[in-house]
Amino acid sequence: MHSDFPLPDVDWSPTREFWAGAARGQLLITRCDLCGRYVWYPHPPCRHCGGTRLSWARVSGRGTLFSWCVLHHAWIPQFAERLPFVSGLVALEEDPAVRVVSRIVDCPIESLRCEMPLRVVFRSLRYPGVTGEVIAPLFVPAEK
Amino acid sequence: MAANEWGFASELEEVSGAIAIVGIGDADYTKASGRTTQAIAAQAAERALADARLTPSDIDGLMYIPFSGDQLDLAAYRAHFGTAQEMWVSDKGGGMVWAGSAPYEAALAIRSGRATYVLNTFAVAWATQRPQMVGGPGQVHADDLYKQNLEVPFGWFPQPVYFATIARRHMFQFGTTPAQLGAIAVACRRHATLHPSAIMRHKPLTLDDYLSSPLIADPFRKEDCCLISDGGAAYIMTSLERARDLPGPIIEVLGVGVGNSTTGAYWSQQGAFTSTPQVFAAPGAFAMAGITPDDVDVLTCYDPFTIVSLMQIEDMGFCPKGEAGRFVEGDTLHFDSGKLPYNTHGGMLSHAYVLGIAHVIETVRQLRHTAAAQVKDARIGIYGGYTGPQASTLILARR
Repeated sequence: MHSDFPLPDVDWSPTREFWAGAARGQLLITRCDLCGRYVWYPHPPCRHCGGTRLSWARVSGRGTLFSWCVLHHAWIPQFAERLPFVSGLVALEEDPAVRVVSRIVDCPIESLRCEMPLRVVFRSLRYPGVTGEVIAPLFVPAEK
Repeated sequence: MAANEWGFASELEEVSGAIAIVGIGDADYTKASGRTTQAIAAQAAERALADARLTPSDIDGLMYIPFSGDQLDLAAYRAHFGTAQEMWVSDKGGGMVWAGSAPYEAALAIRSGRATYVLNTFAVAWATQRPQMVGGPGQVHADDLYKQNLEVPFGWFPQPVYFATIARRHMFQFGTTPAQLGAIAVACRRHATLHPSAIMRHKPLTLDDYLSSPLIADPFRKEDCCLISDGGAAYIMTSLERARDLPGPIIEVLGVGVGNSTTGAYWSQQGAFTSTPQVFAAPGAFAMAGITPDDVDVLTCYDPFTIVSLMQIEDMGFCPKGEAGRFVEGDTLHFDSGKLPYNTHGGMLSHAYVLGIAHVIETVRQLRHTAAAQVKDARIGIYGGYTGPQASTLILARR
């Protein structure tokens, strides 16, 4: 396990572009070179056509809240000072079968609803006792 | 997403009535005990042998799964029992989904003459290992680099968070309520209070207790989540002909089914987010057994979380999809309800978290009519195994 866990290892090649994109304020998802459909997570083969090459593509960052969990317990000790927080799955506008794991922020917990519209924002992730920080795609409520 | 787009049933040979379970053994179920995984598995094996009135040298088939510590493999079996006979060995045994599908592999081996008496064991020492942060249920997920880099940074970890997210979606789709999840936890706890080896036997739970318990991974309370335990179990299988020569009623394997999801190992991306591969496993098992869900007297399912019980009950056809919430309300799952007695030992929520192998032991006990919370005149019992992308259905019958 890398030393700055639970932050991502931004140099791990399969997800390096995801985190590099976030640092530039872009949400990047992989698509199949052969059939053009989005494939998530970023490892071949394509689950739709079996294609073996994927390329990164920028998506709008709009989506809906597929489902979520409010954490009141820190299974990872570094999260303790963030409790309670909302972690969930965002179904992307471009293909709702792609669900991006993220945190939902700037939204009262009692206002959360499945299928509510969300949009991406880019914020710095930092955890107590962990060196460094990473710019990450988080989601906030969006106008319909 | 249509059912056939996200998974399929394994094609299995007909094995109905080929074999019986003739010996069962529990290891001691405990919190942290300092025992090793192998020592726990060996204790369960000793007790299964005694139950079947067989000796260690009678066993010529051995099943286990290379998973979480050293299981009872061939070398460990020989070292523990001091035996040297040749053995058919399969690593498609153990707990979880394989606690339900091991009898299928064993039936093929017994029918083809590769083995006569097959022993399947599984054990965990996760309560002991947890303080060392090695092993344990979260380890395999924390080690996955996709999860480390795309899920963990956002706090979506570990399993209670995955399944709380699934439960929330099930609530949105079908109107399932926290009190309905609570009905499952309450039934399991009641059964545990009647069971002499259940870890939670001294801790009764009412629905009010459940609802006033704090949320840990909203919508989950700790009572929605399985225990962390040391323990294990073992069972012995042989042909129906040989079973007739052994003591006790014959508990035959009437049907087996295995279902698979094709949408990957990551819960976040599961195509059918609120279904389990029981959708594919159960129909084949019922067809092989020649029975329907109405014929079932007792059901045990792999139950890491209340929602996994709820989904399997509907996915196996005990009620229409989406209606399990209303179905489980009240006393439906209680051993004395006359409806669908469920996890009558307490399950992984309240008996012990030994990943399903104790469920098979309990199902056999129910059919032998020696269970603690005995279902009256139980004749057909089912174990539903689950491992995320796979599920199994094992149908047992008292002959």
